[in-house]
Amino acid sequence: MSTERVAKVFFAEAIARALGEAMARDPRVVILGQDVGRFGGPYREFAGLHARFGDERVRDMPVAEASMVGVGVGAAAAGLRPLVSITYMDFVMLGLDPLVNYGAKLRYKTGGQLTAPVVVKCTAGAKGQGVAHSQSLESWLAGVAGLKVVAPSTPADAYGLMVAALADGGPVVYVDHKRLFPTAGELADAPAPVPIGRAIVRRPGRDVTIATHSYMCRVADAAADRLAADGISCEIVDLRTLWPLDVATVAASVARTGALVTLEEGQLACGIGSEVAFRVREEVGRMRVVRLGAARAPVSGNPRLEAATLPRPDDVAAAVRRLLDAKADER
Amino acid sequence: MIYALAVPGPIEDVEELRVLQWHGEPGTRFAAGELIVELETHKAVVEVRASGPGVLRAILCPAGDWQAVGRTLALIGDDDAEPLPPPDAAGARFDVAFEVT
Repeated sequence: MSTERVAKVFFAEAIARALGEAMARDPRVVILGQDVGRFGGPYREFAGLHARFGDERVRDMPVAEASMVGVGVGAAAAGLRPLVSITYMDFVMLGLDPLVNYGAKLRYKTGGQLTAPVVVKCTAGAKGQGVAHSQSLESWLAGVAGLKVVAPSTPADAYGLMVAALADGGPVVYVDHKRLFPTAGELADAPAPVPIGRAIVRRPGRDVTIATHSYMCRVADAAADRLAADGISCEIVDLRTLWPLDVATVAASVARTGALVTLEEGQLACGIGSEVAFRVREEVGRMRVVRLGAARAPVSGNPRLEAATLPRPDDVAAAVRRLLDAKADER
Repeated sequence: MIYALAVPGPIEDVEELRVLQWHGEPGTRFAAGELIVELETHKAVVEVRASGPGVLRAILCPAGDWQAVGRTLALIGDDDAEPLPPPDAAGARFDVAFEVT
């Protein structure tokens, strides 16, 4: 038995701690982004770092994401280990050229002589901020050869995946979520690392597997609570890394339950769920499967319409009931 | 009478928060408007002030502890002599005003 001490922390505190420890260990780790300096980060996830490490290593940037990502990728190629903070994931698209055409390709183009160990951290998800500040675009990035994409749902994973991302050969896109910042969870005094590419069974169950990530883990858990009241037992697999996908962990779960629900906040078309479902199907053969994701509509700034656009616990519970009523492969 | 001082709410997005600092100890008397405790959310500090007079009798969540909105942080009495009930037996809520800063 471990006697390790744990303390409860806010999600942002886990990120700040991972960054602070990495910066103390490795002088190559620097932070670039808007409001990352004295302000401490849009979600306080950089709190205390500017005071500790100064202007040289915690650099406030103008509202110019293409330049920020370009500087980050270039600095990484030149030997630093930058974290570039994009406040809203919607604006990562301004930095896609340096990230996708340069960062993701550098190792290949140079036969491994150059790498781009850069972490691009961005905040996804809908929380009342309208069409262009609410998107979850992680499936776009998971589709780029050369990028890794991680998406923690707990403070412990926010810490562990940040440590792993900063140590990786990169580039790594680190996707957090607006609705996770108010949450808290336990973090050990000496936390175990969270390897990139490893999913986790968040909630064991026997009737259906729900494969999901980020904030939707909480939606899945709320759905599972409702279904448990009716005797339906859900196993929730938190993907944690979206590329490379840990298909084995999801497939092992589906081999037990025989039914898979994929759940994401992004669009269904060419989404994470499609990829998970197909690859699990390749592993386990016959299974019942349904995908859940956002409606085919921009996320409204109207709170009622926003809620209607995204999967809610009742939607997940209803989908599980329909799936369990269907016979294998009839869907 | 003994009252429960609970985490006030609702506070947008907040389910649970952390006790930052108590501004008194068992036996401290508070007048209306006086700051009793500061609580910490993911991005703000919540100042909890007495709405009327009372005596802080017992702190159930010292600084650094976490508590959910609506749950009890401390026991407050009309005076400092009345015997304390078990922590979860204090029925009435102590009225507070709170500000999120």
